[in-house]
This record gives sequence, structure tokens and C-alpha cells, in this order.
Amino acid sequence: MTEFDIGLSDSPDRGPMPKPPTMAQHLKLARRDVSVGLTDWRVWLLLGMNDIRQRYRRSRLGQFWITLAMAIQIGTLGFLYSYLFHLPVAQYLPYLGTSFVVWGLLSSIILESCSVFIAAEGYLRQVPMPKSIYVHRMLVRNVVTFLHNLVIIPPLYLFFHVPVSATQLLALAGILVLLLNGIWVGLFLGTLCARFRDMPQIMVSLVQIAFYLTPVMYRRVQLPSKWQGLFALNPFQSFLDIVREPMLGSPPPLIAWEISGLITIVGFAVTAVFFSRFRARIVYWL
Amino acid sequence: MALITLDRITVDFPVYNAKKRSLKSELIRRTVGGHIEAIDDSHVSVMALRDVSLTLRDGDRLGILGHNGAGKSTLLRVLSGVYEPPIGRVVIDGRISSLTDMMMGMDAEATGYENILLRSVFLGLSVKQAQANIGEIEDFTELGNFLKLPMRTYSSGMILRLAFAISTAVTPEILIMDELVSAGDAAFMSKAEARLNGLIGRTQILVLASHDLAMLHRLCNKAALMEEGQVRMVGPVDKVLAVYSGHA
Repeated sequence: MTEFDIGLSDSPDRGPMPKPPTMAQHLKLARRDVSVGLTDWRVWLLLGMNDIRQRYRRSRLGQFWITLAMAIQIGTLGFLYSYLFHLPVAQYLPYLGTSFVVWGLLSSIILESCSVFIAAEGYLRQVPMPKSIYVHRMLVRNVVTFLHNLVIIPPLYLFFHVPVSATQLLALAGILVLLLNGIWVGLFLGTLCARFRDMPQIMVSLVQIAFYLTPVMYRRVQLPSKWQGLFALNPFQSFLDIVREPMLGSPPPLIAWEISGLITIVGFAVTAVFFSRFRARIVYWL
Repeated sequence: MALITLDRITVDFPVYNAKKRSLKSELIRRTVGGHIEAIDDSHVSVMALRDVSLTLRDGDRLGILGHNGAGKSTLLRVLSGVYEPPIGRVVIDGRISSLTDMMMGMDAEATGYENILLRSVFLGLSVKQAQANIGEIEDFTELGNFLKLPMRTYSSGMILRLAFAISTAVTPEILIMDELVSAGDAAFMSKAEARLNGLIGRTQILVLASHDLAMLHRLCNKAALMEEGQVRMVGPVDKVLAVYSGHA
């Protein structure tokens, strides 16, 4: 429209209104969002690291508060519950410590997924960067926190004589599967929570309930035997087991791999459709 | 070559937290702003842009005029790629810099140097490119050792200097501004103005929304007049300004 044009822009001779984009176009744009998001790794690394730095800036211990807080929690609950459960501390404390460190990663990925887009409102409304960047930023933040918590494990194992074995390397595979799932969880929950602001509160409750229903502080064998089969189907337990069990020296049960594998596939499939459909709308909901 | 094409785009905002009738009637009573459309009883939607078409090529300096709520900011966000319209086609070809919020991405707790990286990343630079700009930004801001301190220790003028220096350190192909940015004290202001004019001169497409008619006249060669979410008129800046002043 380079010439001087004084007509109304909705003059009737311009034909019918254009159609909204098709699902195929949505899918293509979403795929580009995710692939460009992955190649922009410096951006999300910078943002994620800055989140950690910002949280602990001006405190003397800095990010080692993460480690200290976790150590205090494990120490306190370890002694209390070994007494309540009538278990020897040397046996219970390494189990609880490992459980808490892994559960911490798992639960905070789910909870922080809810706010990936809500918290990035200022960015999303100003720059057209791929939305997946904010999910990866959340994962960076959680990996850093996890690594700080992991510091507790070697002294704990050393002190209570947990044997070192090659099986423990399997935990790396488990962590990778966990983080891979963090991508779809972040895209899915991030989008859902941006639209429905009650969702973050609902997720807090759900994760809290999951904590009690998942053998984090207790062992599955402590449950009545008729329930054990049912509890084995708990997806939280599967993701916990594929990291925790190898860390403690035994390969995770096959069912844990099967369930977490299935959830990975279904999760990505559902998110592909869901995120593609609503990706462009997220910024309008903020 | 930079190019922007908007082909019959429509942008509407859902208002989900509307307390049904009370807010809806409140909104409808407003005299300024876009169209508020009630889709059904529980769903209020504000139509911010309606069937807008626009083409910008190299050398175009477009001023955007219009009353508050006419859709200027929404249009700027569509042009910068932030809002993807649910209806219509958008083609944006060229690297965009949107200076609608110069502070975007900066963190008061981070040092000046850290903020150069943080802010640059949101301007579309890689970390390496951002690091290459540090020397030039150091010189321009004259902040010296303050750059090693957290930004919260700066005066507001110093923060503005830094934000301005980083935001204008790269020449985009498409430059988008909401009102002209200004920074700092008198001495710095003339320096900043020269820098901004240089940037505007080098960029291929400029889009500037403003109420300052004299400035639009000085910087733009085209203008678009927005009214109720529609482009009422696009053309040479003189003619559009004349029409706008005539009935404003």
C-alpha cells in the first residue's frame, strides 16, 4: 500500500476474510520453535544460570544454601523416620537421601513447568524468541540445583558404606530420560497454566499428594502386599526408580523403564498437538 | 533486503477473567479503544486490530498515528513478531530490533557487564556477538568501573545510559520504536541523539509510533493513521499528518 489510500481497510470489494492457519502450519511453526530453541543453547544457559545467581546473590553461602538446606532436611527426617519405622539409620539414611535428591529434581521440574511462560511474560510480550527457550531455561535451573544437591550423596554413601559399582552409571540414563520428559512437561504445563491460572495451584496439590503416594520416604515393601502391584504402576515411582535404584546400586525394575518409556512417547505425542495448536496464543493469555 | 507484509490480519484478545456482565458493560461504555465484542455470555473479546494490511520495504520510515487505544502498540507487536495474528498472513523478513522497552532482559542485581550480555541476547545477538560489543558500550556509556557493580547501585540516569547504549549497539534491518527514546542529562542527550539518528539512518525499515507530529514529520516518509483497530489511511507523511491534524 504505497500509494495514498484513503479508503476504509474493510471495504467490501476485498473478498472474504482470510482463513485461520491449518493444523499442518501450526505443527510446522511449533517444530521450528523447538528446533531453533535447542540451537539457541547459549541463551537458555545464560538465562538459567542467571536465575540461580539471582536467587542467591548477596547471600554469603550463595547457592550452597541449596546443598545445606537439603542436607539438614535429610539429616532431620532420616533420624526421625528411622526411629518411627524401626529401621537402622545406616540403612535408612542413604535411601532417604537419594530419594529426596531425585524427588527434588522430579517435583520441581513439574512445579516450575507451570510458570515457565507466566514468569517470562515480560520477555514474551517484547521479543519473538522461541517459546521452548523458557522451558530449557527452567531445566538448566533445575539441573544446577540437582548438581548442588548431589554433593551430599558421596559423603553419605561413604559414611554409611554404600558399595560403589558400575550399576550406578545407569543413573545417568535415568536422569537423561527424566530431563527429556521435562521438555514436554514444560511445554504442556507451561501452556496450560498460562491459560488456566488455577492450574498452578492444582499442580501444587497434586505433587504434594504424589509425594505421599509414592515410596519416597518409605519403601514399597512396607505396603500391604495387595497394594504393591497397584503402586508399581505409579508413574512418579517409575521416574524416581530409574534414577534412585541405580544410584543405590541395583538396576531399576523393568516395569519402571516400561512405564517411563511409555509416558515419554505419549507425553511428546500429546504435547506436539497441544503445543502446536496453542503456541501462538500463549502471549495473548499473559 | 528487509520486507514486512501484513495481509488482512485481525488480532483479538480474549478476556477470560471478565466478571461477565459487569465488566463487559463497563468496557462497552468506554469511548476510546478497539471494538469489544461479546462472543457469548461468558466470553468477552477485545478486537485490537481488524483486517489490517500493510507492506513495508527498504527505505520505508513509517510513522504510526492514532489516539490511545487505536491499536498502535498492538500493531507494533505484530510487526515485531511477538503477536502472531490468529487470522491473516504475516511475513517479516529481516532482523528486528524492538526498542519499545529498552530495559527488557536487564536485571538490577546483575553487574553492568552481565547486563550487557543479558540485554543483548534479547536483542537477538549471540553471546559471542554481545561480547564483541562490550568495548564500544564501555566507551559510549562512560560508566567506567561502575560496570563491575550491580546495576541497583546506579542512578536512574546511569541505568538509562546503559540500557540505551546496549539497545542501540547493533543495527537491525527493521527498527521498531514506541515514542522516541531519550537518555540522561543534557550533555549525554546530544550524544545519544546523534547515536540514535545514526541508527535510524542505517536501518532499512523504521516503524515509529508517536504523538509528536513534528518528530514524525522529521523522521518519517510515510505515515499510517490508526482508528479503532483499523488503518484508516496510509501514505506520504505530509498528507496523513494534514488529515490527522485536521480532524484531531
